[in-house]
Amino acid sequence: MEIKHRILVLQFSSIMKETRLGEFEEVILLLVGILTDQAYAMKLAEEFEQQSGRSVSIGAVHSTLERLREKGFLTSEMGQPTAERGGRRKRLYRITAEGQQALSASRDLRMNLWSQFPAFSGQ
Amino acid sequence: MSKVSPPKYAEKLLEWVLHDELAEEVLGDLEEQFYAHADRKGLRRAKRNYWYQTWNYLRPFALKPTKLTNHFSMYRHYFKLSWRALKRQRLYSSIKIGGFALGIAATIFIALFIQEEVSYDQHYKDQDRIFRMINVVDAPDEKSKWSHLQAPIKAVLDSDIPQIEQSARFIAFNWYNAGDNQFRPQGTTQSVYEKGFAYADPELLEILEVPFIYGNATTALAQPNSIVLSKEKADSYFPNQDPVGLQVILNEEEDNAYTIGGVMDIVANTHLQADFLLTLKGKEFWPGEQTSWDSWNYSTYVKLVPGADRQQVEQNLLAIRDTHMAATLSDNGGESAFDLQAHFRFLLQPVNEIYLTPAEELHDSLLHGDRKTVWLFGCVALFILLLACVNFINLSTAKSAMRAKEVGMLKVVGSFRSDLIRQFLAESVLFCVIAFGFALALVALLMPYFNILTGKTLELPWLDFWFLPGFGVLILLVGVISGIYPAFYLSAFRPAEVLKGTVTKGKKSSRLRSGLVVFQFATTIVLIICTVITYRQMDFILNKKLGFEKDRVVLLYGSNTLEEGQQALKDELKRLSHVEQATISEFIPITGATRDQNGFWLAGRRELDKSVGAQKWRVDEDYLQTMGMKLVQGRNFSEAFASDSSAVIINEAMAREFGLDDPLGAKIVNSFEPAYHVIGVVEDFHFESMKGEIRPLCLVLGGEGILMPLRLAGSDVASAMHAVEHVWDQFLPNQAIRYRFMDQEYAHMYDMVQRTSRVFTVFSVLAIIVACLGLFALSAFMVEQRSKEVSIRKVLGASLMQIFGLLTFNFLRLVVLSLVVAIPLGWYLMREWLDTFVYRVTITWDVYVLAGLIALAVALITISGESLKAGVDNPAKRLRSE
Repeated sequence: MEIKHRILVLQFSSIMKETRLGEFEEVILLLVGILTDQAYAMKLAEEFEQQSGRSVSIGAVHSTLERLREKGFLTSEMGQPTAERGGRRKRLYRITAEGQQALSASRDLRMNLWSQFPAFSGQ
Repeated sequence: MSKVSPPKYAEKLLEWVLHDELAEEVLGDLEEQFYAHADRKGLRRAKRNYWYQTWNYLRPFALKPTKLTNHFSMYRHYFKLSWRALKRQRLYSSIKIGGFALGIAATIFIALFIQEEVSYDQHYKDQDRIFRMINVVDAPDEKSKWSHLQAPIKAVLDSDIPQIEQSARFIAFNWYNAGDNQFRPQGTTQSVYEKGFAYADPELLEILEVPFIYGNATTALAQPNSIVLSKEKADSYFPNQDPVGLQVILNEEEDNAYTIGGVMDIVANTHLQADFLLTLKGKEFWPGEQTSWDSWNYSTYVKLVPGADRQQVEQNLLAIRDTHMAATLSDNGGESAFDLQAHFRFLLQPVNEIYLTPAEELHDSLLHGDRKTVWLFGCVALFILLLACVNFINLSTAKSAMRAKEVGMLKVVGSFRSDLIRQFLAESVLFCVIAFGFALALVALLMPYFNILTGKTLELPWLDFWFLPGFGVLILLVGVISGIYPAFYLSAFRPAEVLKGTVTKGKKSSRLRSGLVVFQFATTIVLIICTVITYRQMDFILNKKLGFEKDRVVLLYGSNTLEEGQQALKDELKRLSHVEQATISEFIPITGATRDQNGFWLAGRRELDKSVGAQKWRVDEDYLQTMGMKLVQGRNFSEAFASDSSAVIINEAMAREFGLDDPLGAKIVNSFEPAYHVIGVVEDFHFESMKGEIRPLCLVLGGEGILMPLRLAGSDVASAMHAVEHVWDQFLPNQAIRYRFMDQEYAHMYDMVQRTSRVFTVFSVLAIIVACLGLFALSAFMVEQRSKEVSIRKVLGASLMQIFGLLTFNFLRLVVLSLVVAIPLGWYLMREWLDTFVYRVTITWDVYVLAGLIALAVALITISGESLKAGVDNPAKRLRSE
């Protein structure tokens, strides 16, 4: 029975888009929102390091951004070239309405859970 | 200040691998960060970070799509599925992998061994022009081959045969100063016992392209009394120094010093193994020796001119036989010369065949491997690997029911059969790759033990260019061989039937599985038979009555430096209570010791008969007693008879050869000395390996030389040797005592047999393990399949024994069948092997009984665990799920 199940999942994933939000994805999505018009991969990576104290490579952030874009939570466009980039343009990301929705759904879930957490229920 | 810019190669790399549309933004990001970092943290850290970021961009999403990545992801998919299948069946997977790992490890070991064995003498620039001369006698009553020729042959080869560019003679057996000597550099006092001396013509160094560290091949032995040292010996006697021109003394012969002509660096993989080469230039061992066609002592090498035809040269060489050799013989008598022309010829043996031609074939006392052993080991490795493949095939098809639904589903969703075949092949290759990792670890771990086993110094050639690709090919090969049948078998299921659940519990292939189990066990039983018989032969050799007593005999080396005083030392040692008897003679019944082959005739028959070839050993009056040899007729040498200087004691074989019923008093002659009269007959004793007959031999007075054998009186060897050493130190204070025990030397002669026997033991144990792994898994599987049947039988009242019998009978039947297949095969193989010995054990039926019992017992133990478990399990538990 196990076998059948596996094959069904395989089929399923190729038809439907995955819409869940991982922890790292969620943080990156939030950071895109925070940085507004400066949200490009390198800046996001530095911001992440500063805010979380964890180190991350630009490539890891970039691949997450691309994944979020595929899920429809982000859109992107090329910005203006600048000198310190050797005259190259940057790719700027922006949150979509779906992204906003996913973030608030995720927040609601957490708030809901927190409110049921006995140690904090008095607050 | 160095220029501040991002590392060029990292940029190149990114441009090369990144998706085109990503390149701009990524390079921009990295460069921006780079300048920021360079400002804040310094250039070095900025560069390092740039590289770090570059590596982290090597992710699937960012890479350029290529055909390769397409295939790659497909194969990755295959491997992912395989990995899951592997994890699902841990027990069976580990048995498959374990079997493969053992098989591959055995193959690696044996491959390294074989590679080393066949690598001998493959390094010459003019490989195909270098030969050694072989004599062949092919008469109705005598067939023999040997490699030694007469002294004058070199001059004749050089002048008479135009196709021969160079020729050289070589003496590597114990003869005059060839063999072992006391050795010291001129100007020191302490002589050291050294082995590995050989005589060579100056040209040998050029023919065999010996590399030189000091001096060169052309001049090193060109002067009379010159000597060449190996690198190791030069390093130990003359460290960090060019010793060319210095002098060395052999056996304290100050008036006959040798001058060092060069230091050679002989490669490891060559048959030419010598630490000291003495020149033959200007050497004559006795008056007339260099022109005599009567004594055969020289191995002769030739190098042909480019383009010369080997067969043509062999033909031309017959002229030498017809002129020089026949002339000598017709001086002696016409009959021999006629025989010579009818039956004698020369062969040219390519240099790279010398090492693998066993010593028994050509009697050349060089270091040898053995073709047969190489083949034998190669087959053993192949079979163990096949056993592992069989495990894989058996388990894969047996477990097919488990995969049937998977196959059905995959087909329903649109897989082609070819995809499935590839999937299953990928699976077997994956198993192989994992097994290969384990195998390498195993080999690295066990290498020292293998080296002890084979007496070699092998190591894993990680860095050799062929090593990893070679084993990559091996993995693919093994993976495909073992995967191909299961792949076709499994991919053939019909989805509709499988998914309905009507089809196959792997029954169709059960006959094949039985066949393969028989194959496994037959192989195992053959190996067991080989092990038992080689072991018995070894035991036979070590314990056979030899005609002499090898125990408690100590071989004392080096007293020849005392010259006249040697006799006094012997007398002094005989006076010790620990020493029963002592003798002086270099001739001992151990292969590789000094030998002297002569042609003998009965007196007066020299012109009429063919000669009888016999060893002539120079001994003294105490020899027979020291060696524990028995006289069957006549008397020993005695000082009481002055005429004993021309007396001879012959062995029974020689008496037979001469056809003498009453040999006492008979007179015999050789080509050199006045007649000998026979005073006694000694019982035949083995003086060479048991692979050959005991040949004619005679003893005469005149013992001398480097060796003094002692027979100890009691079993307290330590205190005896202490006493001997005390006496030695009084006679030779400047020379350390050196001795060996004759029984050890004797056992040493059969190292090769012993090794063969041990290797068989190890590999048959390996084969048994691999076969048992397979059998265990099969029985576990079968028990699992029949668990409901067993439970129902139990409910209906079957006893444990009945259940056990039910589950094991099938397998035991297969083992018995294997026995039937294996016995004739084992018998045939071992008869072939034993045929190389003239003195050998007979193969008795109990060998087969033993092998059969071992196989049965092992099989029974292997399968009984699972069967018993099934027998004692609570049937309710197994039936509950229905």
